[in-house]
Amino acid sequence: MIVVRCTQPGDVDALVALAQETGPGLTTFKPDRGALAARVERARRTLAGEAQAFEAGYFFVMEDTATGDVAGVCGIETEVGLEQPFYNYRVSTVVHASKDMGVWTRMSLLNISHDLTGYAEVCSLFLSPRYRTAGVGGLLSRSRFMFIAQFTDRFPQRLCAELRGHFDENGESPFWDAVGSHFYQIDFNEADYLSSHGKKSFVAELMPRYPVYLDLLPDAAQRAVGVTHKDTAPARKMLEAEGLRYENHVDIFDAGPVLECHTTDLRTVRESVVARVRIGDRTQTDSDAKSLVSNTLLEDFRCGATTGAVENGAFVLTAEEAAALRVKEGDNVRVLTSYPRAK
Amino acid sequence: MLFVRPARLSDLDELERMARAALPVLHSLPRDRRALETRVALSEDSFRAEVEFPGEEFYLFVLEDAQTGRLLGTSSIVASAGYSEPFYAFRNDALIHASRELKVNRKIHALTMSHELTGKSRLTGFYIDPSLRNEANEAAAHLLSRARMIYIAANRKRFSSEVFSLMLGVTDDTGASPFWDAVGRKFFGRDFEQVEAESGGRSRTFIAEVMPSYPLYVPLLPGEAQRVLGEPNEGTLLAYDIHLEEGFEPDRFVDIFDAGPVLTIAVGKSASASSSELRTVREGASESGAPYIVAAGGAHEFRCIVAGLAGTRADGAALTAAARAALGVEDKDTVRCVPLHQASGELQ
Repeated sequence: MIVVRCTQPGDVDALVALAQETGPGLTTFKPDRGALAARVERARRTLAGEAQAFEAGYFFVMEDTATGDVAGVCGIETEVGLEQPFYNYRVSTVVHASKDMGVWTRMSLLNISHDLTGYAEVCSLFLSPRYRTAGVGGLLSRSRFMFIAQFTDRFPQRLCAELRGHFDENGESPFWDAVGSHFYQIDFNEADYLSSHGKKSFVAELMPRYPVYLDLLPDAAQRAVGVTHKDTAPARKMLEAEGLRYENHVDIFDAGPVLECHTTDLRTVRESVVARVRIGDRTQTDSDAKSLVSNTLLEDFRCGATTGAVENGAFVLTAEEAAALRVKEGDNVRVLTSYPRAK
Repeated sequence: MLFVRPARLSDLDELERMARAALPVLHSLPRDRRALETRVALSEDSFRAEVEFPGEEFYLFVLEDAQTGRLLGTSSIVASAGYSEPFYAFRNDALIHASRELKVNRKIHALTMSHELTGKSRLTGFYIDPSLRNEANEAAAHLLSRARMIYIAANRKRFSSEVFSLMLGVTDDTGASPFWDAVGRKFFGRDFEQVEAESGGRSRTFIAEVMPSYPLYVPLLPGEAQRVLGEPNEGTLLAYDIHLEEGFEPDRFVDIFDAGPVLTIAVGKSASASSSELRTVREGASESGAPYIVAAGGAHEFRCIVAGLAGTRADGAALTAAARAALGVEDKDTVRCVPLHQASGELQ
């Protein structure tokens, strides 16, 4: 069974190997042993309650329990911006109007903002190309919401996700070209790498201090604001199905959208239920329901996907599934069921 | 002999002729006869008044051909720009964006709407007859333009200690301003001329109030708009150069509509103040010497001409009968003399 679980200290080798599979672009997951070991340790301390608020963050791996193959990662930062400031642009509206002159113009302004300080952030998702088949990416991403649903009091009221912005067919970000490049004078990838590795002081030192009139920028840059990279579109769709929305915050480098939500409004938080485990063969019912199932453990949290739905307060797992999820008959599991749209 | 003097109500016909010929329209020289008459009357009152500090005064000068009595140009001074409403300009600020870690140190210019020039004295209303717009008659343009600074330097109490002058910005072949297209048009959605016409004689201040209130980062503007920033329109190049020769500085402000240069100067540092000398008039044949602007009269009755003067201050000012008549001076009178051109090397 493919499960998503909290990282263990022993995962570092597998993480370094997995990080080799990333191409350029994913700046938060590089084959840097020291950084990965630190991240795993930080997650351990968070689970153990030893981490302070500014550093708390969870880190998960996706593992095929049949082979022990580690094929994906994802994370949750508990409260962003408590150490290094968390920067975004807020796209706000100003109206320049004069009734006497018959002028009424709505303009958009980009304001540097720290609005998302203290939000939880879902981040660092990477899935090996070897596993990019139906449902696996969804499991990896949504397992985080199962974790949040199980441990809501470990998270703040609001949550966000930053998505990669629009890049043109030449791999250039029109927004970076029109704005950031003038202020930062380094290449986009370098800026992105530095900022995602905690070296954020340059962001504050070099960024525009006054609001920027969006309407005065070149069309290509204006059009890129809040637009997702084409490769990230499925991730956006998944997050939106979960209840996250674009609320006029964008990345300061590529103007990619930040999606936001109250944690209590997450679909998984609202709709998942706790059920008792029943071990058995999956009965050949006519139900084609699919479910995410997780145990209710903290350090040994595990989440997987299977078929079936909760019936009479119980959920049927095969013996193999129960072992993979580290549960036994009568234990509690959290279940989120979805039904295919077409009948 | 051309000379500059204050305008009079009896000049009204000639002034109206020039107001109608001036393109673009001069705000200080209205085409409407009644409005024009009001302006000239205000100017007469201003020259006549005893002034302790600048207020609503307006000073209108004319360039007259002494032989024909024909007027060939105008120039004027608004004692206190934006006396009743704020005067807007973009201040060109340099912001330093530096990161030691990245070894980046960059000066970024931003244009900020500013009221700083409100209340300062402003040179305006420069118009010179097309027959004088050529190299051979360059001295006439200098005389007409710089007469104002000479008057200001000789009558400091009437004006602010800093003076400014707005030049028309660059327009393309179709008359469109690339700066307006990149900035103002985004706020108004139409041509500047159209907005101005629709504002129905209201001041530019009115229009300014709809303009951007946050600073505009220059590097984020389209290249075309950046290129015309602070650049004078071709038609105003001579006037621009004359201002520079006076010592005006071009870089601190630009016009909020077409980004034309707003030139500023501290009166004390102007050539008219720092290079002027008083000489005693003596009768003489027209001597060849360095060209000077020679001015006579006090605050109430001001005249100036261009004349060649030889020697130094001690040699006095040898002036022909025609020159003396134009200035209204006699032998032994004192005149203020300012070199027409600054010695090379002093130029910026």
